Amino acid sequence: MTTPYRRKRYWNEPRMGWYERAYIFEVLRGLMITGRVFLKNLGTFMLGRRGALTTYYPEEQRPDYARHNRGRHVLVQRADGKPQCVACNLCATVCPAKVIEIESACDLSDAAHPKYPARFAIDYSRCIFCGLCVEACPEDAIRMQPETPHFPGPDRTTMWSHREDLLSWQPARDAAKPYPPAGEEEAR
Amino acid sequence: MPEIRINGQPIEARKDETVLEVCRANGIDVPCFCWHPELSIAGNCRMCLVEVEGRGLDIACNMPVSAGMEVYTESEAVRDHRRAILQFITLNHPVDCGICDKAGECLLQDHHYAHNAKASISHEPKVRAPKHVDLSDRIVLDNERCILCLRCTRFTAEISKSHALGVIERGDHASIRPVEGHPLADDPYSDNIIDLCPVGALLSKDFLHRARVWYLQATPSVCPGCSRGCTVDVWHRKKEWFLKSVGVEENLKIARVTPRENPAVNGPWICNKGRDLAKILERPRATQALIAGQPVTTAQAIEHARRLIAGAKSPRALVSNWGSNEELEALQRHLGTRMRCVVKADRKAEPGERIEDDLLIRADKNPNTRRALELFGEPAADAAQGADLVLLWGELADPALLPAGVPRIVLGSWIDPVNDSAQVFLPVSVQTERSGHYTNFDGVVSAFAPCFDKPAGVSDAAVLFAQLALAPGARP
Repeated sequence: MTTPYRRKRYWNEPRMGWYERAYIFEVLRGLMITGRVFLKNLGTFMLGRRGALTTYYPEEQRPDYARHNRGRHVLVQRADGKPQCVACNLCATVCPAKVIEIESACDLSDAAHPKYPARFAIDYSRCIFCGLCVEACPEDAIRMQPETPHFPGPDRTTMWSHREDLLSWQPARDAAKPYPPAGEEEAR
Repeated sequence: MPEIRINGQPIEARKDETVLEVCRANGIDVPCFCWHPELSIAGNCRMCLVEVEGRGLDIACNMPVSAGMEVYTESEAVRDHRRAILQFITLNHPVDCGICDKAGECLLQDHHYAHNAKASISHEPKVRAPKHVDLSDRIVLDNERCILCLRCTRFTAEISKSHALGVIERGDHASIRPVEGHPLADDPYSDNIIDLCPVGALLSKDFLHRARVWYLQATPSVCPGCSRGCTVDVWHRKKEWFLKSVGVEENLKIARVTPRENPAVNGPWICNKGRDLAKILERPRATQALIAGQPVTTAQAIEHARRLIAGAKSPRALVSNWGSNEELEALQRHLGTRMRCVVKADRKAEPGERIEDDLLIRADKNPNTRRALELFGEPAADAAQGADLVLLWGELADPALLPAGVPRIVLGSWIDPVNDSAQVFLPVSVQTERSGHYTNFDGVVSAFAPCFDKPAGVSDAAVLFAQLALAPGARP
């Protein structure tokens, strides 16, 4: 025996008189609002002035990102320009969308950092900008900048960002991250 | 049968057992680094400390049972000492798990987390040591990570008997080094020390930085390198971790091969040849059916082969002893009455390869000779002579077996000049693309499972035998 469905009554149920129940007057009122905004935008567009808030992407990009917006990724570089990344794959492992792919390689001549990423790629067609990669990184090697990545195109397979693009930013004098770390030299 | 009490629970033990063995046999977890069931007792890691009523703390791995002893494995004193031992072991360990290939399957990581140990409390700078010491062309030693459990030196001294490794220096400068005059490269079992190493000190050069272990899955398989038929784990990338942009070829490659413990065949060991299965199985593949060297569809090639078989008076089949039990039985069922089947060797020993020893390696370098001979009998020396059609299945170790000038149907997996000179060539799958069983020289049957999908155009040999047995023009 199932109980029959009963529509839930809300505290703010609209009270409708005969005018609202006639339906057509209210529809016309709504169309008038839409039409007024449309004609106003059309007019300003024809006069060559900005009307709606539309940004004409990709020719036009908005600069007003919040300071802590999680946008495109950058790979931090050491003083000698090599990536800070040690290819531990923790970012790729923690990534909920599985968009980070790293090919690690071994350079025995660099005794302090023998393992490095030979290739590093992020697929921005699937990235959800959660920032877990930045949190997981034990080396502070991956960070996010406020501006978004730009991959306008008709094909989602071309939205990979590779090591060369990601290494485009270098903190010239980053007081928070001196290299080599203080105390490392005398310990050796 | 002395009865002892472990954590208050009475347990029957054998007289010749140690407390550690009794604990492990009864599912009581006692952590250890240096103890290994197949090696002698070293007792140097001190991790398996237990408390015995009236005798205080001592190591369980070297403690024979005696009647009426009361053992506590989880008392407060034991836990305190375990944490202290872990502090001691990590005193000079670099804890560079981020770049260590062992991370994820490392005993030191596991014990550290399981026993809730703290990060190092030492203020002293860690002793630095060489990060890359070449032990052989296959193995590299990271001296900083070594915890000196001496499993590797005991393995080379007791199991492989190459005596290739020893310890030099003392205290925190002690390190594993190769012994002069006993090169580790000459030890055909050397790679077992990589699995034995409880930390990431001994690393395979072939696997170095190729993948984090949690990206890989192990598929049970059988080593086809010799008639011992050791059971192995073939490690390959998990489907959910398949790469899409960077190094996509890694998705369908064997990352590494490790032994799958099997007391009936190989115990916990395999030889280095078994670790290099990729060298045999990942040679350039033949995936296109051919008629007289010209590419055709598989259906056309099968139809041409059926006509050749129907027109032959005395056809012979050269049977692959790399075929699984199922494939050999399929051949006998479908073509056994039509053709005379002759078992031949697919591969022989490579130059410089160890032929035979008394640990694992057998002289016959093919996995399933026993089952093939059971089904088809010992071949006569001139068995292939006098044929007017030869069906060659698999490779041919001895090219003289193939009679000259006779039309050939070839079933092969890899690119080979013999494919182009055959009347019909049909591509077949390799071991990592199908399931089946091998019977080793002793009659022990072991199963292997598929790791990868077959490439387009490639079929299983068992399916092809059924199709070849039909009359020309028949629809399967």
